[in-house]
Amino acid sequence: MKRWLKEDLWRHAIALVTCFFVLFPIYLVILSALSPTGSLQVTSFIPKTISFRNFSMLFTSPKIPYLVWMKNSLVIAGVVAIFSVVIGAASAFAFSRLRFKGKKQGLQLLLLVQMFPAILSLSAVYVIMSRVYSFAPRIGLGTQPGLLLVYMGGAMGVNIWLLKGFVDSIPMELDEAAKVDGASAVQTYWLIFVPLAAPVLAVVSLLSFIGTFNEFILARLFLVDMHARTIAVGLQGFISGQYASNWGPFAAGSIIASIPLIAIFLSLQRYIISGLTAGSVKG
Amino acid sequence: METLFHRKVTVTLKYIVVTLIASLLLMLIMSAFAKREYAISIFLGFALFAMAITYLTNFSIPMKFFLPGMFFLFAFVVGPILYTVAMSAFHYETGNYISKPEAITQILSTGVRPDANQTTFDIVIGEDAGKNLEILASDPTNKKYFISSQKSKMDLDPSTLKIDGNGDVATAPGFHALTPSEQGALDATLGKARFAYSSDYFITIEGGTLGSLKRQTLVYDKSTDTFKNVLTGDLYKDNGTGDFANIKSKADILQPGWRAPIWFSNYTKLFTDPQIRKPLIRVFIWTVVFASLTVLTQFALGLLIAVVMNRKLFGRRVYRSIIILPYAMPSIMSILIWGGMFDTEFGAINHLFGSHVHWFQSPLYARMAVIIVNLWLGFPYFYLITSGALQAIPAELSEAAAIDGATSSQIFRKITLPLLLQVVSPLLVASFAFNFNNFNIIYLLTGGGPSNTLGGDVAGSTDILISYTYKIAFGAGTQNLGLASAISVVIFFIIASISLYGIRRSKVLDSFA
Repeated sequence: MKRWLKEDLWRHAIALVTCFFVLFPIYLVILSALSPTGSLQVTSFIPKTISFRNFSMLFTSPKIPYLVWMKNSLVIAGVVAIFSVVIGAASAFAFSRLRFKGKKQGLQLLLLVQMFPAILSLSAVYVIMSRVYSFAPRIGLGTQPGLLLVYMGGAMGVNIWLLKGFVDSIPMELDEAAKVDGASAVQTYWLIFVPLAAPVLAVVSLLSFIGTFNEFILARLFLVDMHARTIAVGLQGFISGQYASNWGPFAAGSIIASIPLIAIFLSLQRYIISGLTAGSVKG
Repeated sequence: METLFHRKVTVTLKYIVVTLIASLLLMLIMSAFAKREYAISIFLGFALFAMAITYLTNFSIPMKFFLPGMFFLFAFVVGPILYTVAMSAFHYETGNYISKPEAITQILSTGVRPDANQTTFDIVIGEDAGKNLEILASDPTNKKYFISSQKSKMDLDPSTLKIDGNGDVATAPGFHALTPSEQGALDATLGKARFAYSSDYFITIEGGTLGSLKRQTLVYDKSTDTFKNVLTGDLYKDNGTGDFANIKSKADILQPGWRAPIWFSNYTKLFTDPQIRKPLIRVFIWTVVFASLTVLTQFALGLLIAVVMNRKLFGRRVYRSIIILPYAMPSIMSILIWGGMFDTEFGAINHLFGSHVHWFQSPLYARMAVIIVNLWLGFPYFYLITSGALQAIPAELSEAAAIDGATSSQIFRKITLPLLLQVVSPLLVASFAFNFNNFNIIYLLTGGGPSNTLGGDVAGSTDILISYTYKIAFGAGTQNLGLASAISVVIFFIIASISLYGIRRSKVLDSFA
């Protein structure tokens, strides 16, 4: 008993204080989501009345197309996650397994490109996409497909780099065996590599999904129309306005939007963490 | 037999996909060309050509894998970067957005003054037999009447005209008045049209029936590339940086200017112009402090928790699940919520501590708030990393040290920490580089403030380089894309050297060989 006190008590104390630090804002969000006044003003840390008005407002108020935003976010993040990984995996495979001239320079270029702060080429992206709009209004500035294309480009560097780390860890013997049996590089890719790397591809897709879901600046620049917005842009609109009372729906909306992400994250923590360390050297 | 069939199917599928994408690209190229977006159509044409070569021949196997990725990378990452670098060599800001010919046209159209008496005429808009636009003008006070086209003026003899009670004429031989609907169709042309009066003066249409006498005060001389103000005699010369400036006083420039190449001036300005240099240095120092403090606090707390929980502990799984929550939540929402919590009047922080701190009004408190929020967002990442690394350190090492009589704090400082640092130092560097450019937290939490905007200084106390640059490029006041691009390029070099240092240490580049 004494040893327990000495060895474990301080550990529990630190862990509890940290948990308090972590949970405090989360608790407040829940509190204001359930508060009927719908503000983040705190008069008491214990709720006196609980109301689901904020939640029901999200789904019923005609001014808040919450479900549309959610759908936009899920579709955009989903498409980016799938396509950027499918495209990125091919490049990662080539970088990892094929021999060719300029491989070193290619990888260096990829690294270099990632170091350029993406936000700072924002104005250039804006100008380019507004020109695209002039001849192809469907995929230019202000459209979801346009935003999607830009996201794909942005995701490419990180994904190729992350995936290359994974591909490097798949044993070489398998594709060498395939080569001996007369398989071409393209066949090796489809028949050996893709099935083997499927779980890894799924994890990188999820990381890509989370990243896109969280993206804010580009989405705000691109999506002006209320019904085209993503969840992050839409919810931010509530509290950047002058009415503090919008904290209620904001909090409720944030909670619902967070649930899928937290669920994905908690169930796949182990894989995601190994992905983090593998890709961490990307800078 | 079966594999042969499979092969046929996949090959057919390949041709279908290639053809579809090719026709889509071709359509885009044609419409881009039609709108004179030559750079884009050349890029797309190149992509089409590369696609045909790569997928229809066996020219290069690696290219079959790279091409789609390369397309996106070049179109939306490399392209914009090159564009940014190019912009940094231009005088490109509010008032200097357009090209030189456009600027000259605009100066000419605005460099017009009414004559001294503000003379006006009653006019009828019409056309001659050849459908050329004309006006029939009446000057009732002086009893003068004339028809004026955009080229010449023809005086009319009043005795041949039918003059109404107001002293105006409505029609003349050879003149056909336009109906209101015909005028409506010509609206754009009518607004710009200038009708001849004398060598210096011309008439513009002010309303449906009113024309006013004007004079071109700013005259452009193509051979010397100068503007002359005919009233004051001032000469305006191309000053080489995108403006026509008065040769007598450099500050007197004509609006608008144009985006002119000024090569490295945007870069030298960063070091020589005190109005730019001073805030830039201040922001740079805070950026370094912010990134270092962030990494340090996040790592310290993450390590502490990892050490605390690096042992069978009752409820460890629960603790762990709670502690990684900030990492799993959408960070934008977390930041915005923290922003609300720091509110002076109603914020939960002041309520919890019974204090009345104006968090976002004082530079010191605002900076503290930024660090605290970033700690909350980032320490779970370091907890996850370090707890993994701690478990990878062989237990034999510390056991051996314990047998030799080392205390647990000695073991930690002399064995565990050095081994741990070896593993995580590239991650620390990467995290530093990430936070160096952590735009979201600054932009969404404090907006860079508090700032003293009285002196026209846009840099706030919590602005880091990237948010400061964003303000320069897209801020509320003057937007200077040239300068912002130059700062971007400088930031790129800083980040690149930090990252290269981290990469060298982690020996990733070795595997390139």
